[in-house]
Amino acid sequence: MAPFDRPDDLLRLEDLRVAHDGRDVLGPLTLDITARRTGIVGRNGSGKTTLARVVAGLQAPTAGRVTLSGIDPAKDRRGALDRVGILFQNPDHQIIFPTVEEEITFGLRQQGRSKAEAAAAVTAILTRFDKLHWRAAATHSLSQGQKQLVCLMAVLVMGPRWIVLDEPFSGLDIATRLQLMRHMARIEARILMISHDPESFAGYDRVIWLEGGALREDGPAAPVLARFTAQMRQWGDADDLSHLAG
Amino acid sequence: MISLTSPVETWAHRWPAGLKLGLMSLATVALFATEDPAILGASAVGVALLYASAGTRFARAGARQLWPLWPFLVLIALWHGLTGQVAAGVALTLRLLAAVALANFVTMTTRLSAMIEVAAVLLAPFRRLGLSTRALEISIALVIRFTPAIARKGGLLSEAWRARSRRRPGWQIVMSLAALAIDDADHVADALKARGGVLPIPDTDQKG
Ligand SMILES: Nc1ncnc2c1ncn2[C@@H]1O[C@H](COP(=O)(O)OP(=O)(O)OP(=O)(O)O)[C@@H](O)[C@H]1O
Ligand SMILES: [Mg+2]
Repeated sequence: MAPFDRPDDLLRLEDLRVAHDGRDVLGPLTLDITARRTGIVGRNGSGKTTLARVVAGLQAPTAGRVTLSGIDPAKDRRGALDRVGILFQNPDHQIIFPTVEEEITFGLRQQGRSKAEAAAAVTAILTRFDKLHWRAAATHSLSQGQKQLVCLMAVLVMGPRWIVLDEPFSGLDIATRLQLMRHMARIEARILMISHDPESFAGYDRVIWLEGGALREDGPAAPVLARFTAQMRQWGDADDLSHLAG
Repeated sequence: MISLTSPVETWAHRWPAGLKLGLMSLATVALFATEDPAILGASAVGVALLYASAGTRFARAGARQLWPLWPFLVLIALWHGLTGQVAAGVALTLRLLAAVALANFVTMTTRLSAMIEVAAVLLAPFRRLGLSTRALEISIALVIRFTPAIARKGGLLSEAWRARSRRRPGWQIVMSLAALAIDDADHVADALKARGGVLPIPDTDQKG
């Protein structure tokens, strides 16, 4: 798919910092990302979701700069629409509309597509995932995995060049996870995925390991994941659950 | 009371939203223009037939949605019984029941996006003045979408309460519910923002 291999598809973070309530939770971070598949790992509270939100433009950094395929995603919301889509950690926080069709249509209409174009695109994406019979289904009645897939289709249908996935497999059974992974493997767009499960990064080019908001490691997926897993096991033997950040 | 669109597909789902809303407005005005218990009774029966025509499953779901009305109806009946205005009480009860049931019927058979489109058409004059009405249209959608969601959250909270208490939950959960609602509002704001926020969309095909 040629349009997805643009040389200008670069995600650049320059001296990025994010603070919540005056406390630094991320950065300073300086990174260039061009890989097709990039993983983000780190402990709970290490700043992964914060990074995802900043990349998707949901939140402006406290300092520094984000440039995503040529735009600042927090400032240029219209430009961000066809450059980046994000899958939230919890699909219940993402679904706005009562039916699958309306949920998927919304983003297309936001992009300025006509009703007829939007309807055709909804049919196309549902067909591609073999879920045409979901069209009129009530979103609140879907299972967690089904909701996750609806959110993924709603993001994909908008044709973004980047897709940010925040723990897309949490709460899914193994079979559902494998199915969702298969769907994701076919996505042409560049993917930035957060996950706690090293196995979910099969086929990934690069992995970024965050620790306390800072870059701990960054490099080819396999070796970084190996060291990450070893370190997690070591921490698992200790008891630092009692430690409160602040 | 405000329910989601029924997943049971009925003939009424295929009617245009504008037509349904228009007919409903006319019928409601008519209901409030008459005091005749016979006409009001016939209207209530008519609305019941409307539900029945959509199938048993649909009618049962509709009845469930209307059930929370009963305390009000009992109150009205008691009041009028005590003050001796039985005919007026019957008329009021029938009118209320018919009007609310009709509105509920339209809600259950109309998709949210179709409702928003009707709102967009009605708001067109404001757009011609250069105002963006998109925020209002989305607000209407959100109220319809999240009223049942918040009611469900309230139910979950009182379950969490009962799981650890022998007494029934009272006012204590109100603050928690308010906090949850604000939290939800935050998430929806994010979800909207993730897909462009409140952007004015081209006017060309909003009607139709
Ligand atoms: N809205 C907020 N207000 C205050 N602090 C916040 C807010 N959001 C996140 N934080 C803090 O920022 C830090 C990083 O949070 P973040 O959600 O990015 O972590 P994470 O790596 O995604 O964790 P998890 O694996 O649990 O999802 C945490 O210490 C968290 O408490
Ligand atoms: Mg997170």
